[in-house]
Amino acid sequence: MAKNGASASKAAIGHKAPGQVAMVFDLNKCIGCQTCSVACKTLWTRDEGTDYQWWMTVNTLPGKGAPKDWEQMGGGYREGVPQEGTLPTRQEFGGGWDFNYDEVFYQGKGNTVHLQPVGPKPTWGPNWDEDQGAGEYPNAYYFYMPRLCNHCTRPSCVEACPRGSMYKRPEDGIVLRDEDNCRGLQFCAEACPYKKIYFNYIKKVSQHCIMCFPRLEQGVAPACARQCPGRLVFVGHLDDVDRPIHKLVYDYEVALPLHPEYGTEANIFYVPPMSPYRLKEDGSLDMETPRIPMEYLERLFGPRVHKAMNTLQGEMKKVRAGGKSELLDMLIVYRWHTLFEPFTRDPVEVGGPQAVKSGR
Amino acid sequence: MATPKTLSKPRTRSGNGSKAVTLPPVTLSRAAQAGPIEDEYREKIKWQKWTWGSHCVDCYPSNCPFRVYVGKDGEVWREEQAGTYGVVEAGVPDFNPAGCQKGVSWHRLLTGKERVLKPLKRAGPRGSGQWQEVSWDQALGEIADHVIDAIQDQGPESIIRIGEPAEGGTQSLIYGSAVVNHIGGTVTDVQAEINDFSPGIYITFGKFDPAASCDDWFHTDLMLCWQINPAYTSIPWYHFIAEGRYRGAEVVVVAPDFNPTAPHADYYVPVRIGTDVALANAMSQVIIEEDLADWKFVREQTDLPLLVRLDNQRFLRGSDVDGGRDDQFYWFDEKTQQVVEAPRGTLALGKRKPALEGVFKAKLANGKTVKVTTAFAMLKDLLNRDYTPEKAEAICGTSPDIIRNIARKAAKKRTRMLMGWNSGKYYHGDLMERSMMLILALTGNWGKKGTGARSWAVGMFDGQFFAPNKPAPGQEITAQAMAGRDAMYKALLAEDPTMTEEIIGHEMSYRGAAMGGTVPPAFFWYYHCGYKEIWNKKTWGDVGMKRTFDQYFEEALDKGWFTGTVQPAATQEPRMIFEVGSNLLRRTRGGQNMLLKNLWPKLSCIVSIDWRMSTTGLWSDYVLPAAHHYEKPNFCYSTPHIMHLTFSDRAVPPRGESKEEFEIAVELSRKIEERAKARKFVEYTDAHGQPRRLDDMVNRMTLNGYYKNSDKVLDEMVRDSVVMGNLPEGTTLDTMREEGYVRFTGWGMSPMAIGQASDIKEDETHAPFRWHTEKKMPFPTLTRRAQFYIDHDWFLEAGEQFPVHKDTPAQGGDYPFHLTSGHPRWSIHSMNMTNRIILNTHRGHPFCYINTTDAEQRGLKDDEEVELYNDMGAMKVALRVAPSVRPGQLIIYNGFEPYQFDEWHDPANVEPGMVKWLAFAGGYGHLRYRGIHWQPVPIDRAIRLDVRKIAHVGKEAV
Repeated sequence: MAKNGASASKAAIGHKAPGQVAMVFDLNKCIGCQTCSVACKTLWTRDEGTDYQWWMTVNTLPGKGAPKDWEQMGGGYREGVPQEGTLPTRQEFGGGWDFNYDEVFYQGKGNTVHLQPVGPKPTWGPNWDEDQGAGEYPNAYYFYMPRLCNHCTRPSCVEACPRGSMYKRPEDGIVLRDEDNCRGLQFCAEACPYKKIYFNYIKKVSQHCIMCFPRLEQGVAPACARQCPGRLVFVGHLDDVDRPIHKLVYDYEVALPLHPEYGTEANIFYVPPMSPYRLKEDGSLDMETPRIPMEYLERLFGPRVHKAMNTLQGEMKKVRAGGKSELLDMLIVYRWHTLFEPFTRDPVEVGGPQAVKSGR
Repeated sequence: MATPKTLSKPRTRSGNGSKAVTLPPVTLSRAAQAGPIEDEYREKIKWQKWTWGSHCVDCYPSNCPFRVYVGKDGEVWREEQAGTYGVVEAGVPDFNPAGCQKGVSWHRLLTGKERVLKPLKRAGPRGSGQWQEVSWDQALGEIADHVIDAIQDQGPESIIRIGEPAEGGTQSLIYGSAVVNHIGGTVTDVQAEINDFSPGIYITFGKFDPAASCDDWFHTDLMLCWQINPAYTSIPWYHFIAEGRYRGAEVVVVAPDFNPTAPHADYYVPVRIGTDVALANAMSQVIIEEDLADWKFVREQTDLPLLVRLDNQRFLRGSDVDGGRDDQFYWFDEKTQQVVEAPRGTLALGKRKPALEGVFKAKLANGKTVKVTTAFAMLKDLLNRDYTPEKAEAICGTSPDIIRNIARKAAKKRTRMLMGWNSGKYYHGDLMERSMMLILALTGNWGKKGTGARSWAVGMFDGQFFAPNKPAPGQEITAQAMAGRDAMYKALLAEDPTMTEEIIGHEMSYRGAAMGGTVPPAFFWYYHCGYKEIWNKKTWGDVGMKRTFDQYFEEALDKGWFTGTVQPAATQEPRMIFEVGSNLLRRTRGGQNMLLKNLWPKLSCIVSIDWRMSTTGLWSDYVLPAAHHYEKPNFCYSTPHIMHLTFSDRAVPPRGESKEEFEIAVELSRKIEERAKARKFVEYTDAHGQPRRLDDMVNRMTLNGYYKNSDKVLDEMVRDSVVMGNLPEGTTLDTMREEGYVRFTGWGMSPMAIGQASDIKEDETHAPFRWHTEKKMPFPTLTRRAQFYIDHDWFLEAGEQFPVHKDTPAQGGDYPFHLTSGHPRWSIHSMNMTNRIILNTHRGHPFCYINTTDAEQRGLKDDEEVELYNDMGAMKVALRVAPSVRPGQLIIYNGFEPYQFDEWHDPANVEPGMVKWLAFAGGYGHLRYRGIHWQPVPIDRAIRLDVRKIAHVGKEAV
């Protein structure tokens, strides 16, 4: 399935694997609707022990995200040296709540009880600081940040596992864990600077996004990408020079990894967010100062974000003056399935009892 | 914001000894250890069968084609968007994949704990949560007796089906009302129940329903997101906005708060709550002042060149000039320098050039001469006097710099006013919308791709309404009915040959309204639910009212403006309520405060038919379990927004004892018939004098047994829709099962669909009103033009002949905060709000947004539970503190179940549920009642209240 990966039996950590599957999220199209995260949840984390696990999360930035304050938790590398990391607590992830439906509906208590989570009052969750953001009215600012495992080229989780239970698949670079060999030591979760590794309290193993490899293997795009109504998630091989991912990452350089300074060489990339003009003290338009401070974007995406923003804004100017832009045409995505090439198969064609004819 | 700097003081996991772990890089071969776990995951995506599914709910426009997958255990495993939409227009993005987070977790509602699986009968006081499980036979038998009792006691009109979109979809829409319709009960008008009306669009165009297909958004060059938050409310179709922006469009968000659509806009235009008219009028002032208007468009499409008498502020009419028609209007023709008739049958100017300004003389039939001017001249004076950008700023708080900037853009670009249904929920929302339409008029922005306003429309699935009520099966009957309708058309056309097909359709609706069908619920609320007192509170309504609310109300009745639609009558006590998949006690403005106190005691029986437990269910006498969306065949509402009829199939049989709505309607009919015969009460006459029978209900409901099941009904609906001109030849339920959806080929007979006034083209986006701009077909207004000047007595009395700014009344009392709302991200109404998955995507409890500074000043913290209160009531809710909220604003998005709040007191508890008095106006061209259109609608935006700490309240209470 992988374009150049079939011949490679081993993937050297630290070098881009041939056939590495990558994703680009265009943040200018993301509306924080949570369809990706819910699509993932209903596919993969529906069993006992995975209740609180959201392999895909969408959080409002600026914000503390999920787990709470994950950017403060270390891990990854600095100049090639692994950095001390912290294991997020169950409370910092939050979520996984069940509710007192029966008590409200059937126990004869009337309106003396109302629907609420069973157990202690929650103080954090997978999307606790939704739509809060930063700034000051009317110059508030925020945007949405979808996050999943970055399937890094240099995955600190893999290196941290003392049992060697984790591996990066040679054919597509997907980072997986042999759960049979995993003893739940959670060194991986501590080492992951993105804090996208969860602990299954029933199976006593760590778990994380598997990039829907059972779908990818059969040519179907991951659920988060294929189910995104915003049409903002590109999936493909990073080394496929003819396709958008390669072009956005390497040619136009408008798609950047989150926190490149973490040193793990993430394979999930983001087109950084533009924002509406600020308003001056007197309410008039301030067309000079970006609403989202560039320092903030730089902290997220590194210094290359300046060039990326310039490119984007330059192209926007061009089309508004009536010009054409190959870059923006690529970001428009005129035909939905082209987001996922070559993973464009209809899921109805796989996983069923026999080949099922596609509806249309 | 915090980012990792140097990790100077990292927290470490106790006991695992993890300090900067430096392990050698590992290179692993996959074959060595991967096999079993990978296979385990591969196994997880296996399933057994799939069916088409969609979420036939009133999320509007819905119609997302999904596949529902049934797992190896025979239960619904999950759903995923089919992604099978075809390409409509070359060069325009397709609709795929659609869907949203609610849709992709819908299967959790099938097995969730909110699901009701057995008929329940109340076993304690109402609302106590004490239930007894009973058989269908017992439940329906007892309900049937209540029905007969109510008919005998108060008349059939005392049995009320709250006319809501319900759970949505064909089955609940049609069969949720079928029994009540058959017995001559009251079905209230959905438009007022939910209030998704756009009164100002209606006043302007004589129809409120321009609804471009969503892909037409891509053609827009200036997208004014105004009174809408599509990042929440148009999740499946938002991408057309983002893609249009990349094509070159500029996106503007106008809102009090920096709402979740604003981050992706180019301009954020802040506006004080409820002051949009000032902003819009100032934009119009700039466009006129700077001579940026499309003057030909203004002359042709609008009433602005029509002449108005200076002596009485009324249009110069045929009845004035030559004793002719009261709806004949005049222009001053610059070419011939004469007062001439403005044609009623066309918008084409022909050889005329109507003057836009000037004072002229008109000779009247009585020999007198009066001075006349144009509506435009009066408007221009008004705008120059009161709405320069500088004057507007004092009202709306928007900088003149922004006003001028956006106005100039609107004048130069293909501009769309992308609106939701927010403005109509403001007290003066009609004025807001009229002022917004004025911008479109001045800039020539309707009737071509990428332009226009937006509201909603249904229609195009005519068989859905025809098939259940036809006298016998088969499409010959349908063709005969079509011929009958054509004959009626011809008769009306003979009355007035200038009428278009659209205008005739509306005229038939006006005339039909008094003869039965849905009724505006305003009278039900006024007489039976306690609103008379509320609506008469002087400071909660329009403070400029010259007379009391009751005086206007009485005048409307005296003049016969609502004759035939006041139901139940003032003297007729309501006895029963049927709720079908809807949630009266959440949605009604005034909510439990008004209804439990005033209505509930009068009711002998409250029946909730639903697949889940709603707050209304909890307060009902019977809860009857309906089949969930994946357990029955169904169609989504059909709408020009999507242009598809979308099918949703039965993936699994109904769980527990739940039943499809069709089956419930038939079984209830059977019981009523049985009990009526046993009680020897089988015929009576309803309030319209129409005889009703209870002994033929099952035969009527099933066409004498032809409709054996819902498949037969749906198949007949599809086949009828082919004959009625909506669907391609050969479409049947079988072909729908094969393809999942089909694109509409024609508008058919529904006035709302025909009101789109554009040809449906197979390979083009739909942009409404092209018949008006391209074919010069007149609008269905009094003046046959887009009408900005309303010379109805009451409008003149109100000073609202033109759109003007009026302060929103202090509804709820004189309190510092304004409460606003909007459709939520997390739920379609309250349907998904209790889905456990969705609850985990926010804080798991209701919340109210407040500005950061406001919170700080009051010492309130994020997620702190506070009390909101006003003269109407109080409620408790947790705060979400955010700088995006306007100071002085509080936002509670709607949809939370009252039972998610302390004591079940939800925002409806602090909403008075005012209606604007002017909406009772009638007897004027298009200002007459017809179903889903002009009528009083309830208000819930900009309610005044205050916030207090709960500890403080506790002290006071002690």
